[in-house]
Amino acid sequence: MNPETAPVNVTIDNRSITAAVGTSILQVARENDIYIPTLCFHESLSPHGGCRMCIVEVEGLRTFPTACTTPIDEGMIIRTHTAQIQEMRTEILQLFLSEHTASCLVCGEKVECREYMSTVRKAGVTTGCRYCPKDGQCELQAVTESLDVNEIIYPIYYRGINVETGDPFYDRDYNLCILCGRCVRMCQEVRLADVLAYKHRGRKTIIGPAFSRTHLDSGCEFCGACVSVCPTGTLREKARAWEGKPEREETTTCSFCGVGCQVKLLVKEDRIIGSLPADDPLVNQGQLCVKGRFCNTELVNGHQRVKNPYRHEGAISWDVSWNEAFALIAEKLQASSPDRVGMLVSPNLCTEDLYIAQKFMRVALASHHVDTTARLFYGAGFNAYLGLMKRAVPLAAIQNASVVLMIGLDTRFSRSVVGVALRTAMKKGIEIVTLNPREHTISLKANLWLQPGIGTEFRYVDMLAQLTRGAEVPADGISQVEREKLEQTARMLSGSSNPVILVGAEYLQYDSSRELLESVAQLADNIGAGIMPLPAQNNLYGSLLAGSYPELLPGMRSTGDDAQRKLLEAVWGTSLSNLIDSWTAASLVACDTPLQFLYAVGEVPPPMSAPADFMVFQNMYPPEPYGSADLVLPSAAATEVDGTFINGERRMQRVRRAVVPLGNALPDWEILCRLGRFMGATGFEFSRPEEIREEIARAVPEFTQENIDARTPMPFVLETDMREFTNDATAHHAAERAQTDSAPPFLFHASVIEHTHRGFPLSAWVDGAKLLFPEGTLTVNVEDAKALQLTEGDVVRVSGASFERTWPVRLASTQPRGTLHASLLETASSHPNPQPVAVRKADV
Amino acid sequence: MNEELYPSIFSQFKGEEGELITILLRVQEAIGYISQEAVKRISQFLKISENQIYGVASFFSRFRFDEPGKISIKVCMGTACHVHGGSLLADAVGWDLGITYGQATPDKRFDFQRANCLGSCTLAPVVQINDKIQGRVLVTELKETMKHREEF
Repeated sequence: MNPETAPVNVTIDNRSITAAVGTSILQVARENDIYIPTLCFHESLSPHGGCRMCIVEVEGLRTFPTACTTPIDEGMIIRTHTAQIQEMRTEILQLFLSEHTASCLVCGEKVECREYMSTVRKAGVTTGCRYCPKDGQCELQAVTESLDVNEIIYPIYYRGINVETGDPFYDRDYNLCILCGRCVRMCQEVRLADVLAYKHRGRKTIIGPAFSRTHLDSGCEFCGACVSVCPTGTLREKARAWEGKPEREETTTCSFCGVGCQVKLLVKEDRIIGSLPADDPLVNQGQLCVKGRFCNTELVNGHQRVKNPYRHEGAISWDVSWNEAFALIAEKLQASSPDRVGMLVSPNLCTEDLYIAQKFMRVALASHHVDTTARLFYGAGFNAYLGLMKRAVPLAAIQNASVVLMIGLDTRFSRSVVGVALRTAMKKGIEIVTLNPREHTISLKANLWLQPGIGTEFRYVDMLAQLTRGAEVPADGISQVEREKLEQTARMLSGSSNPVILVGAEYLQYDSSRELLESVAQLADNIGAGIMPLPAQNNLYGSLLAGSYPELLPGMRSTGDDAQRKLLEAVWGTSLSNLIDSWTAASLVACDTPLQFLYAVGEVPPPMSAPADFMVFQNMYPPEPYGSADLVLPSAAATEVDGTFINGERRMQRVRRAVVPLGNALPDWEILCRLGRFMGATGFEFSRPEEIREEIARAVPEFTQENIDARTPMPFVLETDMREFTNDATAHHAAERAQTDSAPPFLFHASVIEHTHRGFPLSAWVDGAKLLFPEGTLTVNVEDAKALQLTEGDVVRVSGASFERTWPVRLASTQPRGTLHASLLETASSHPNPQPVAVRKADV
Repeated sequence: MNEELYPSIFSQFKGEEGELITILLRVQEAIGYISQEAVKRISQFLKISENQIYGVASFFSRFRFDEPGKISIKVCMGTACHVHGGSLLADAVGWDLGITYGQATPDKRFDFQRANCLGSCTLAPVVQINDKIQGRVLVTELKETMKHREEF
């Protein structure tokens, strides 16, 4: 046997143990259930040897090595709990405790006081001081107990540092910090985000970002990985601080974007108290972004959630029972004709919900008027985007690529796990080119940063496509520096193996989105690249598969496809409507004929040119202030239902019910099935999501339980061209731009907020999200703001060729000079985008 | 701020991580301190995050992060000076300027630092005003000198 790989024999505490070469003493001890106290050690981080708690005695060594950093050697005789070592550990621990201001750890009354904690008195009585949120889950507490330390012989050194509460989602109390460095290693080694560092030295050492900046100003992704590894109460989640220990965990799929991370929900007393990344080798590799880590809990626990069905008329609203609600809907539907009803569903819902929603429309109402807001989100680039989805490669492709091109992708707050994968790959030598007008988290470290002007991104991609084909490209309007970078990129891409192109959601609402996406496809063809479209909607593919579009039947076949119609008619036992018109969600925006009945399932309708006569709003939260409805039905959150999401890789993933729905809320499929049965329609006798899945499998053969459990990627069979939401403004934009090109004061560009869930911006119901991705603000470059004499929060009036609006100002150094950006809820393509505008302070 | 400053400093380096401390020293030589702007420029040049650069720089007492005052007053606190009452001198200067060591007056005219040894231990206690070293200073003397501080 090769002596370098031969197992090593050691003796730990008089036990002979054989272990693989290279293993640390600590690892061997843990594998054999020998307890060695540790504070700075963490399985997912590199060994640090900082806390000195794991010192052991090795025969023949003069010093006491730390078990976490010392690899085993043949014949080592190790003792872990000699009197001398225990004494040293106690000594070291007391040094820790002299700076750690939780006297509860060593308080002489700590045993007696527990008995009297439940005392009920009129006057104030100390009933146990619980001032640390980590009480009962603290690793320092555990080590203190294991070493039985009851007093501190050293003078107490209280650092008196103010608790940092200015950042969203978590607070930091560095008085409790023991400088184990887990958070720093997590941030620098695993997330590779480099936000946390040790500052100063000696006893002034503190952890944090540069100068005295907040995490928000230092590029922090708010992934919460540092909070997860903190052994003490230093880093604490604002929302979970005082919740205590979870009772159980449930692994499910995150519902905030098309990456589809696996999350571990922490449950206590039938309530979600936290969400942590699951260690999933296929998608998120134990990482999450701010949305999955922090927004999830707050969103599903919001006190404003709808708990009962209620009727709303004029200025008053009153609760109704489910049956009253169904009766009202049935009455309104009977008075409506099939061509004047409509249903808007959310691509955030489970595939089962989406399937039942379109079945309800097609069977119970004999209408094909069912659509999603994805059509509005992707606008003129819808077909081109779906074309990219057809070619989606798995996330693992990043690791096999030699060059990755990122187009309009910022992984700071969304798709952060992709950012982590990219940075990890970069360490291994993969080259990264990012194309983005704005400075973002990857731009610092990328090999090349292409910086197109706002609105000219599509020209860059087009030039890359032409250059990689070997064509000569005229150098009009692009600086020499940028041109050289483009040529270099083209050379890098042409000579690469397995390149990957990542497409973010930043330019998808521009007038040029179709050109951009088509150029991406061409470029990919030229260089043989894989494409990763990373959709903003967590179940966009599911919505196509379930047929939630007027032109698509389940199975992604055209509504006019005879074979599929026959198949579905046989499965559903009914005949499908022949009335196939041009109604889409875009008709709500553009058409002046109001619908008689509009059913919004998990979605907030866009501003309508003609409001429907009667609107049913089925969602987690009330429609106000983003809309209004005549009847509101409470639906269950994604943590309260069982179902399937299909991510951007087209991978089928299970959604598991962690808690029961809040109040009288029901899963969307159940509401629709009960309504269908109430109205006397057949084919809605489902009692469990499994039965719906079985029925979907009859129309879509690949949708089997085995494939779902194996998380197999689905084939992409869409051949129908989807109707695109274009607008007159788009067609005229070129002419308009030519007219105003002479001296455009500012270039305004808008995007639709992608941080939404079921039609609501996350900032509406999640406190921290208000700071991270505020909606309804205008982002202005810091220097421009100086010239305009604007400060943060000033209200400005922006006037363009076709619109005039006021917004509060938000300053950012990352916004390119001479440009303004707004994130809007409604679709931005109703205006030329981008377009030149004038801006001035509003008269207030 | 001279736009050419950073490119001219960076042109002497290859852009490797290990050059960080030398670059920081050059920057401090040129502008007297490590400004937020400097950290950002170095970060872009070396492709290291600003937070890590600050972490390294703040470890060394040599680097300062606030703009120094124009007239530098250093009070030695080395062993010999300490024994001869250096801290009393430091208190006197501090009271006079209304600041403590490590700071500059708000108008950025005076800069007050403590030194660990100025190499003139035979003259302890020692005070250095700009480039001039004064030895065997008494507190009363120093107070008298400080009265004429505008003429330094």
